[in-house]
Amino acid sequence: MKKALSLFLSAAMLLSVLAACSPQPGTGHTSPPSGAPGSDQPAQSSAPADLEGEITFWHSFTQGARLETIQAAADQFMADNPGVKINIETFSWADFYTKWTTGLSTGNVPDMSSALSTQVVEMIDAGAILPVDSLVDDIGRDQFYQNAITEMTAEDGSCYGVPLYSNTEALWYRTDLLEKYDLAVPTTWEELYEAAKVITDGENGNAFGLAMPMGTNDMMATLWLHLYVRSAGETLLTEDGRANLTSKTVIDGINYWLKVYNECSPQDSIHYNASDEATLFYQGKLAFDFNTGFQISGVEANAPELLDKLDCAAIPRVNGGDPETGCLTTNIPVVIWKNSKHPEICAAFIKYLYDPARYVDFLLSVPVGMMPALKGVTENETYQSNEIVQNFQHANEVLYQMLGGSTSIGMEYGPKAEAGLLTSQRVIENMFQDIIINGTDVETAAAEAEAKLNELFETVG
Amino acid sequence: MKKINRFKAGMASFCFILPALLVVGLLLFYPVVSSLFYSFTSKHLIKSGCEFVWFENYVRILRDEEFWSAFLTSIKWTAASLLGQVMVGFTAALALNRIRRGRGLYRTVLIIPWAFPSIILALSWKWILNGVFGFLPNFLVKIGLCDTAPQFFSNSNLVFPTLVFINVWFGAPLIMVNVLSALQTVPQDQYEAAQLDGASPWQSFVHITLPHIRVVVGLLMVLRTIWVFNNFDTIYLITGGGPAGLTQTMPIYAYNTGWGLKQLGRSSAVTVVLLIFLLLVCMLYFKLLDKWEQEGA
Amino acid sequence: MANKKALRRGWFGRTVSYVYLTVLSVAAAFPLLWILLSSVKGKGEMTGDPTAFLPKAFTLDNYTTVIGQLGFGGNIVNSVVVAFSTTLIAVAVSALGAYGVVRFFPRFGKKITRVLITTYMFPPILLAVPYSIVMGKAGLMNNRGGLIIVYLSFSVPYAIWLLVGFFQTVPLEIEEAARVDGAGKLQVFAQVVLPIVAPGLVAVAIYTFINAWNEFLYSLILMNSSGKMTVAVALKSLEGQEVMDWGVMMAAAALVVIPSVLFFMLIQKKIAYGLAAGSVK
Repeated sequence: MKKALSLFLSAAMLLSVLAACSPQPGTGHTSPPSGAPGSDQPAQSSAPADLEGEITFWHSFTQGARLETIQAAADQFMADNPGVKINIETFSWADFYTKWTTGLSTGNVPDMSSALSTQVVEMIDAGAILPVDSLVDDIGRDQFYQNAITEMTAEDGSCYGVPLYSNTEALWYRTDLLEKYDLAVPTTWEELYEAAKVITDGENGNAFGLAMPMGTNDMMATLWLHLYVRSAGETLLTEDGRANLTSKTVIDGINYWLKVYNECSPQDSIHYNASDEATLFYQGKLAFDFNTGFQISGVEANAPELLDKLDCAAIPRVNGGDPETGCLTTNIPVVIWKNSKHPEICAAFIKYLYDPARYVDFLLSVPVGMMPALKGVTENETYQSNEIVQNFQHANEVLYQMLGGSTSIGMEYGPKAEAGLLTSQRVIENMFQDIIINGTDVETAAAEAEAKLNELFETVG
Repeated sequence: MKKINRFKAGMASFCFILPALLVVGLLLFYPVVSSLFYSFTSKHLIKSGCEFVWFENYVRILRDEEFWSAFLTSIKWTAASLLGQVMVGFTAALALNRIRRGRGLYRTVLIIPWAFPSIILALSWKWILNGVFGFLPNFLVKIGLCDTAPQFFSNSNLVFPTLVFINVWFGAPLIMVNVLSALQTVPQDQYEAAQLDGASPWQSFVHITLPHIRVVVGLLMVLRTIWVFNNFDTIYLITGGGPAGLTQTMPIYAYNTGWGLKQLGRSSAVTVVLLIFLLLVCMLYFKLLDKWEQEGA
Repeated sequence: MANKKALRRGWFGRTVSYVYLTVLSVAAAFPLLWILLSSVKGKGEMTGDPTAFLPKAFTLDNYTTVIGQLGFGGNIVNSVVVAFSTTLIAVAVSALGAYGVVRFFPRFGKKITRVLITTYMFPPILLAVPYSIVMGKAGLMNNRGGLIIVYLSFSVPYAIWLLVGFFQTVPLEIEEAARVDGAGKLQVFAQVVLPIVAPGLVAVAIYTFINAWNEFLYSLILMNSSGKMTVAVALKSLEGQEVMDWGVMMAAAALVVIPSVLFFMLIQKKIAYGLAAGSVK
């Protein structure tokens, strides 16, 4: 019995060895097929109209109007091209990530999908997606915002994603609370802290000025520290891909957020993630918040009574005289997977999505929240006459101003795999919690966190 | 002739366990063995190709301070949760077994927590206990029990007990259902006989109930120990292991250092270490169970 | 005299039991009650007074959104099919298995069950990749049958493990008596032994059902079309929203929890008593 068991065991071991090290579909070492003979030249979207085949499109616009506009576009495309079938499946961003990372080992990935820019780096790294340069050229390279294109461009010089829309962070505030305490809209970090403190003290637990979110199941503390550091012209990830948590500016930033946490935040915000933070705002318990234009839709869905007391301003600066610049923009692209049998259909469909009328429809499914990847698209009557766009004209202007010149965290010098680790490993969140709970000295904690990040970076370097 | 009959009878008996062996053997064997294998390699989650690195993964994690602190937290978390779950679940089962009217209603209501998927468990308790707009903190202030709203998730003295409470809330029904089922299989005539002999309820509990149900309870404890020790999402979704690693258990450690980094090899090594520890714990339980079984036979 | 004393003691014990159970029930039911009440509140009503419990304006809008717009109905059907099939097969397979182990292979069986339990020690996320490779090779991707098989592999070890404990309490004499009366192996098993361990079967069935109903990771990974996914995945996708709508979330949560509670009621009443009633006692 024992002998048989051990035989079985070793046989199974052997089997798994073979499975473990055999090349996996979609992750092989084959070079990008852009120039390779026989590959389907994905970007030939101006191909003849007799497209034929079935493609699967995974996207993360899981709800409401966004879901519907994409489906409508696909239906129309299928009507125009009778030989084509498009299967649309939706997954939230987190689920999509689980799905494609585990799916790669079995070849279980879609033909095309939406993606986050940090994930695009990982997809390029794993050799899972195709370059889309000719498709970008076809749509009009000059029309895209340059930063978005740069973020999708790998070291080999090819662009791997077509930017679909962008988000940019701004300072959101409650106009009624500012009026109540006779406060001006803050333009520097110090002014923001002072205003938040006045409101926190004045409301005495009924509302808070600013809640510094530091939960280790999200990347919010990294994001907010980045805003401070970026507004001073520095970055958390240096040009040569090292972590920077110990420069004077960053230490100032850490101290600033600690001061905000201690004096203006609910104590619980130490474990807040994005949704906790947003919920506190919907509850009417928060005067200031950093968020993208999606804030409007969130307030509309959960606390419509706050909608006319909502506006946004530029990200504060360290010194009053510094220029107002954007600090954080997330670009959401569409990518084509290497596994696809019909990259030409994917390309044709993507181009179809950028048809001006259709594209404006898509943007208006989250008005103001989704910002166009193409310049000038919003100078369009349909767009301008939208009710939310009308009501939030000021906010919209501020957001456009913030969009210029800003990138994702850690992508200031082009796409870097380190950027993903900077946000996903919760090192900065842990650093903040360590300082607050254990009373660790700020500079010591920052130096430790920096060393830890640099050690982690070695796994992708 | 006799031999053939014995063989036939053996085959018939074997047919009883064959389907179970098939399901389990075929499906679990491959994944488990491959995990074991990965722990000795530099396997990456999404990149192909890997090298055999022998014990490098193990050396790395065993040298990590965070690993040991997570290990300690896990033991505390498992012990506290299990104690609470068993105490509440066991007493609830005994009480349920005692009453006549409304038994079905109480039983159904008491199982409700078990039906909560972990996302809802986390979302609802996070909302109810929220330090600003949560029902319970505000309610405690309203009725004058507290001056300011208690911060259940961020006060470093409260956060661990709060998580344990939530886990007891969620896990006690499972213990209750199983203990109650075991209680129901105790033959009623034994109680009647004992009562005639003038035994007190306590005596019949110790001499009839306990010996009858302890094997099931023991088996249950083994399972719950493993489950609570491996439980990931309850803590992860509520505090993410914070504040400052105060609630970081082994599975969260494995997830953060392994899955987040996509070093499948290293995270497999964490699991194997976990497995060895759990096996040791289970051996202790098995010793106890064997003793009970011998006494019972 | 002794009887009267026992009666009085019984009365006291029962009162304490009722008080204790009522306290526990309030704690157990509170979150679900809160979810239900929140799910029928009007837009914007979840914000405001945190201790306000009852909805000011009753509405079923959130449910309409969840079922109509988000297609939860289909997901619920999937979950019902998968969870019921898994439960049915798991209970049958493991009852046979556990009985076989206890009666026919007591020594070898004990070792086997102990090996079984080690498989339970692996966190599911680590087994995700090897599992999807196996399922892919077997052509069972995006197939509800495949999902059922995976769930079986998780619940059968547990079920056998626990049922072994129950079968061990069945006295051999009862079976031998039935055997003398001329009943066959399978007959003894079905008509004599099963009714005795019926409460154990119920416990196992609830466990299996809950796990299959609430399981998230494998349903997400093994199913490709959202129309074939279970309700747990649909629920999770609401939580991962960029714009979270709490009212809709609460309605979805209620739709996920309530069927499990209904299942508890059903199985406790029907199956436990049904089996017990049919027993040869």
